[in-house]
Amino acid sequence: SLIGAGKTPTLGGGFHANLGKESRAQTLQNGKRQIHHLGNQLQLNQHCLDTAFNFFKMAVSKHLTRGRKMTHVIAACLYLVCRTEGTPHMLLDLSDLLQVNVYVLGKTFLLLARELCINAPAIDPCLYIPRFAHMLEFGDKNHEVSMTALRLLQRMKRDWMHTGRRPSGLCGAALLVAARMHDFRRTVKEVIRVVKVCESTLRKRLTEFEDTPTSQLTIDEFMRIDLEEECDPPSFTAGQKKLKIQQLEKALSKKLEDFEGEISSYQDEIEIELENSRPKAKGVFANFTKEDSIEDNTSSVLGEEEAEDEELEAAANHLNKDFYNELHEKDRVERNEDGECKNGNEALVRPPALESLLGPLPTAASLGITESIKECISTKDREPGENTGDGELDLSGIDDSEIDRYILNDTEAQIKAELWMKENADYLKEQKEKEARIAKEKELGIYKEHKPKKSAKKREPIQASTAGEAIEKMLEQKKISSKINYNVLRDLNSKGSNTPKKEDDSTDDSTNTKKLSRRKSIASRNIANPVNSVGKRLRPLISTLPAKKAATEEVTFPNAQAEAPGLEKSAAVLVESGPVTYNPDEEVEEEEIEEDDDHCMSALQLVGGNDYGCDMDDDDGY
Amino acid sequence: MDADSDVALDILITNVVCVFRTRCHLNLRKIALEGANVIYKRDVGKVLMKLRKPRITATIWSSGKVICTGATSEEEAKLGARRLARSLQKLGFQVIFTDFKVVNVLAVCNMPFEIRLPEFTKNNRPHASYEPELHPAVCYRIKTLRATLQIFSTGSITVTGPNIKAVASAVEQIYPFVFESRK
Repeated sequence: SLIGAGKTPTLGGGFHANLGKESRAQTLQNGKRQIHHLGNQLQLNQHCLDTAFNFFKMAVSKHLTRGRKMTHVIAACLYLVCRTEGTPHMLLDLSDLLQVNVYVLGKTFLLLARELCINAPAIDPCLYIPRFAHMLEFGDKNHEVSMTALRLLQRMKRDWMHTGRRPSGLCGAALLVAARMHDFRRTVKEVIRVVKVCESTLRKRLTEFEDTPTSQLTIDEFMRIDLEEECDPPSFTAGQKKLKIQQLEKALSKKLEDFEGEISSYQDEIEIELENSRPKAKGVFANFTKEDSIEDNTSSVLGEEEAEDEELEAAANHLNKDFYNELHEKDRVERNEDGECKNGNEALVRPPALESLLGPLPTAASLGITESIKECISTKDREPGENTGDGELDLSGIDDSEIDRYILNDTEAQIKAELWMKENADYLKEQKEKEARIAKEKELGIYKEHKPKKSAKKREPIQASTAGEAIEKMLEQKKISSKINYNVLRDLNSKGSNTPKKEDDSTDDSTNTKKLSRRKSIASRNIANPVNSVGKRLRPLISTLPAKKAATEEVTFPNAQAEAPGLEKSAAVLVESGPVTYNPDEEVEEEEIEEDDDHCMSALQLVGGNDYGCDMDDDDGY
Repeated sequence: MDADSDVALDILITNVVCVFRTRCHLNLRKIALEGANVIYKRDVGKVLMKLRKPRITATIWSSGKVICTGATSEEEAKLGARRLARSLQKLGFQVIFTDFKVVNVLAVCNMPFEIRLPEFTKNNRPHASYEPELHPAVCYRIKTLRATLQIFSTGSITVTGPNIKAVASAVEQIYPFVFESRK
């Protein structure tokens, strides 16, 4: 037939609908091809593939393929079919085939299922058993091992091991145990290769199963009896364990604290005794050590508090002074001989032990003070100017001095800049190279700005007074196919009006200079000779053309009618001038193709229209 | 079972995410160089600034948009955001604190019983989706509240929603369904 294999063209309302459908048809064709390709690799039967194609059609009509890789959508459709049919295919298999991340595929699949309102039934690990058993090659006993594994799985389900777990992992564990039960030596590694989980996962499942009472039964007992009680899910028991351990730890730490308290109180008493018996430090050193201890004290006791407020520090100091001095003065004196730095270290070492005693006291007090101090500060900060109007920063509760700490001074800024430069050296180098490259290209004049791909070409809105004009302009812009004679297309609507045609033709002539020459020759020939020869020449051309011609012919059919009025016009206007007298025989074939009878003015015109469509192929025909 | 909202279910808010705008262009380089606790990600064009007092991490763009995460309550989020704006002001930018909005709240809640997930999914078909191969929890979406709940078989539930009230009501809504499919 004239039109090759493929969909029969439907002449819809106008060009626009037709051309849009072409793309849609192509998409669907492409999708079908890919589905078949993938489906065959998965050994899905024809029914599944057809269902998958239906899903795909639905997805396309809902525009779900936009912005997504076609392969992902295809895979999701196929997996959806697998789920609904209950075939033992895992999402992992699909991702293996496509080399795509499983979670990406899963996301697409979930979206598809949601949008198409299809409820995929939950996957049952029992479905995978026959498949994996086959892969593990149990030979004759395949069936028996499968049955055992199934029983194990059911037991696992009742014991709450299967919720939230990958079905493949459970299968692996069940099969391993079943194999061992039937005297098959299947190592963990072999099972893993088949089941596609990690070794540790498999081990974990096995240990979990071990924890259940069922594991204690012998093989025969297991086949006969089914224990009544159900277990808690392993994660739940793990959680309970954790809780218990935490409680134990708490109790322990409490006891430790008590002991510590006792110990420290003993220590204090000892020190007091020592203090009384030792001579006091004299002069400069004593003062020095006192200062040291205070500083260390505040930094360690207040710790992360950052003692923002000076008043706070002073208050804390005041409180701490008394305690610390009493207890540590002697220490400072003792170790004074070793040096200042050691003092500092010692000071830091001692505070933690006593922090438990001192900690609560000063910090609680300091906390109590912070709030009131903050209030004072916030009232100071609340200037009327800053609170007026929307968007002005309300500084209540914000402490400026703390924020000042967040800003580095110059030297620090320099150091930081250096560090950052060093760290990000690679990235900066890349940027420099890129800039250098662009500069060079600019010089050479071959600079191509790689702008991010815009998905939709933004066209100016077509301003036209009549529908015909609009179509002309649209076609000029779109330039869909080189085989379509745009001038002829334009005439479709403007059968009655000849003048606009002429104008357009003249403008169009310049653009289609190449075609012009050919048409000139043909036109002259046509005018001179009767149609027959041309028609005959045309027919073989038409028949050898691929299905794509179908589109052209569709497009050119409507032109035919427009041509008729234009045909009488001057020969200079090549586009329209075409042979009027054509054999009816030749048109019969054209008529078969055409479905819309309104456009079928005469076969002659139709064939004449095709003349222009075949322009480019004339050489081929010769 | 009816929704027993008197059950003492403590909902722990773990994260509050908020955004605000400074309505002025920010020079990221300057912030990066002069801020004491900032990470400058030049390749993506943003600066991460971490505050200690309300423990928050803020992502700052040069357009003046700031996203603040890590707070544990809405008030804390606002306080942190204001602190951040103040520190930006001190760095010399003409900052105006506008369009403060809490965008996302993440909370965790624990049920005293376990839940059968496949059963639960079957009973709540359109809203619940369960994919054991991908994630061990059921994902339940409440469109009216724009909240998403992740329900685990141990009974712990993670809720994310646009504000704290939505989160609380989401938990209340889900309780009867979850109670049905309890172990």
